Amino acid sequence: MRCSYGLTAIPGTDARFFSPETSFLQLRRTFQPTRIKFGSFKIKAKIDEARKEMSFYELLGISETGTSLEIKQAYKQLARKYHPDVSPPDRVEEYTERFIRVQEAYETLSDPRTRALYDKDLALGIHLAFSARRRYQYDELLVRLPFISYLEFSYALQYDETAFASSLVFANVNAGLTNTHNCLESFDVPALLLDVDLEDRSEWKNRWQSQLSELKRRSMNRDAGGNMSWGARMRRQREELSKEL
Amino acid sequence: MAEPEYTVESKCETTEEEKSSSASSEVVIGIDIGTSQCSVAVWNGSEVELLKNTRNQPLIRFDVPVDNDIPLGEVNYHLSHKHERLSGASILNMKRLIGRVDTDRVVHASNNFPFLVQTLDMGARPFIATLVNNVWKSTTPEEVLALYLAELRIMAESKLKRPIKDVVLCIPVSFSRIQLTRIERACSIAGLHVLRLMPEPAAVALQYAQQQQHMLRDNTGRVSKRIALVFNMGAGYCDVAVADIDGGVTEIKALSGSEIGGEDLLENMMRHLLPSFDKLDIKSMGSLRVAIQEAIHELSLEESVQIDVDLGNGSRLCKEVKREEFEEVNKFIFCESQILIVECMQNAHVNVEDLTDVIVVGGCSCIPKIRNLVENLCEREIYKGMNPLTAAVYGTALEGALTSGIDDPLGDVDLLTSQVTTLGIGIRTNRFEFVPVIPRNTTMPVHKEMIFTTFKDNQTEALIVVYEGESEMEDENHLLGYFKITGIPPALEGVPEINVGMDINASNELSVLARVIIPGSQQPVVPVMELKMPTVDDGHGCCNEVLDRAYGPTLDSMIVRRKNDSI
Repeated sequence: MRCSYGLTAIPGTDARFFSPETSFLQLRRTFQPTRIKFGSFKIKAKIDEARKEMSFYELLGISETGTSLEIKQAYKQLARKYHPDVSPPDRVEEYTERFIRVQEAYETLSDPRTRALYDKDLALGIHLAFSARRRYQYDELLVRLPFISYLEFSYALQYDETAFASSLVFANVNAGLTNTHNCLESFDVPALLLDVDLEDRSEWKNRWQSQLSELKRRSMNRDAGGNMSWGARMRRQREELSKEL
Repeated sequence: MAEPEYTVESKCETTEEEKSSSASSEVVIGIDIGTSQCSVAVWNGSEVELLKNTRNQPLIRFDVPVDNDIPLGEVNYHLSHKHERLSGASILNMKRLIGRVDTDRVVHASNNFPFLVQTLDMGARPFIATLVNNVWKSTTPEEVLALYLAELRIMAESKLKRPIKDVVLCIPVSFSRIQLTRIERACSIAGLHVLRLMPEPAAVALQYAQQQQHMLRDNTGRVSKRIALVFNMGAGYCDVAVADIDGGVTEIKALSGSEIGGEDLLENMMRHLLPSFDKLDIKSMGSLRVAIQEAIHELSLEESVQIDVDLGNGSRLCKEVKREEFEEVNKFIFCESQILIVECMQNAHVNVEDLTDVIVVGGCSCIPKIRNLVENLCEREIYKGMNPLTAAVYGTALEGALTSGIDDPLGDVDLLTSQVTTLGIGIRTNRFEFVPVIPRNTTMPVHKEMIFTTFKDNQTEALIVVYEGESEMEDENHLLGYFKITGIPPALEGVPEINVGMDINASNELSVLARVIIPGSQQPVVPVMELKMPTVDDGHGCCNEVLDRAYGPTLDSMIVRRKNDSI
């Protein structure tokens, strides 16, 4: 196939051949750049290494029974030490890597749902961080469940903003449960926990959601005259276009 | 298009003494480039100081009059009359146009500007020109911005009596990475080095955090937790942030933003009062703009206002406008800003009861309707004690002081803000699906990875197309770059692991990495690819289509499918 665009890796060349000097954006710098530069894979390797050594609780310096307030305080204290804005210039690289780990720990432990999942891992003696664990533990399951994966489930939980999506994903997990009996055990506890949480969450969400839908309905409901702003005109055009298709 | 290759030399004369003192500690200035006006501030060791121009104005209008061949920024240049500025020889609202292609909705809405914005609707840069001696002279938004920034730098240098090179800028939440690179390029031409680009409401939150810290120290010394909602609406953009402030650490919980602002209010009013306004000549357009802008300002104080403007050729616009009328004409804008607030609170997982304070800033913050809607939505009064026009620049000056590591024995700036990503970044998979690798509102710096796999048996190549945005449809997101992975060992579909890593450092620089791993071995099979993004430019709006056209039929075999997620 013709390959006249983009990039082709030439075996044997340095992996980081796409340096800023050869990029499209050639900034003319009339000064010494003082920005933080770091090799991402170096950091990545360090993070992986550290994951094997320390649990999130150890990283934050709190006990496994620590309250959410303690987690937050520990995080803020560590952030003030490791954030690139405040770290000493000669240790920025090392501290940035620590900050990313602390952030990961905080994000996981400050959400009761993800914390429950993580605690379960810890109890099973898996001293791997969340993302690492997912990759290695559930590969087998994923092959069997190509479309309904545990991973997609927790992913959607964290980022989907509609109660609808959450319930949809939840249904998917249930489907997954019946399909894979041998995996039931590993799903059991989190799924039940999530059941309760989801109810709370959707109630809370519904309040915002109804307000949001009402606002959106109102913003769509304007007269088609010249008074519409560009945003509305374009949106309407798009809608009409999609109706035709 | 060739880039203008010039740097503006500092006009500041420094003596030997001053040179040695500046070498010991770098001064970082904060700049707020607004759509209609700009301001510069600096941390002077004990407080934030606003730098004023020679006319003693802290807020400097962002108009660049083009006179003969050399455009002169309005930083120090005095224009006798408003109407002169709008005669076609002056560029304004560059912040709305920078880094946008001619198919952009905002560029299309620029037909009421008193200069030429020509669009060919093909995803290229718009042609922007000013009328000088009956000749349309072309320019580019970043060129205009660079000249303006250079003047701001010279102004700051003469005030502070030392060379300035590092700067913290604040930017609208809805800016794409392509727009950010244009801003950085403009700074670079102006001889400025961008240390941080801060979302505007985050800068405001930082000033709030400092105020709270001072108050607590003066009163009880006890640190308490606060959650603030910042609503910032200027001439060109509207942004919302929810910030959690605790013990000097400001955690931005969520950001939302859109390209709505005072300019839209103005355009809607112009269209309402004179539906055929786009047929006016440049000079009349300028007069109409000024008259209606003034009327909108007055409507913040009065219930009704009289508009009387000469449109040339004997025609006149003479009308009384009521505040209700203004609110009715712009109800969409007000509704849209409410949506932004609700979305932001939803993303931040906070309720109205959780909010400690509600801050409203920006040029539109004095509009009664805006204040009402924010007060009603948040069920509390608006925070007093912040100048709505300078809050953002204060924050940037504080951030400048923080990042430069100044000595702070008194703990005046014992603060930290954790920034979050304003838009999700992800890649295209399964035909046209957009999968975010780094979602919106993720704390920076960050490193995240996701594993993808091949789409069919013995697939040896994979096309990675990186987008930025929120939409599930890739065509509504911004294309940041693309690259092809080659040399994947032949295997059954779903076996090779293509690990796509994304990395954003504290300066908001994005790099994308890809490596191919065959399960069982730890080493990548082909050299790892690492790219700084974006690799496409603002003139490449048509790239997406070209990619589809060139690889459309074969793209399926080249794209990758999500194998599994890791957050």
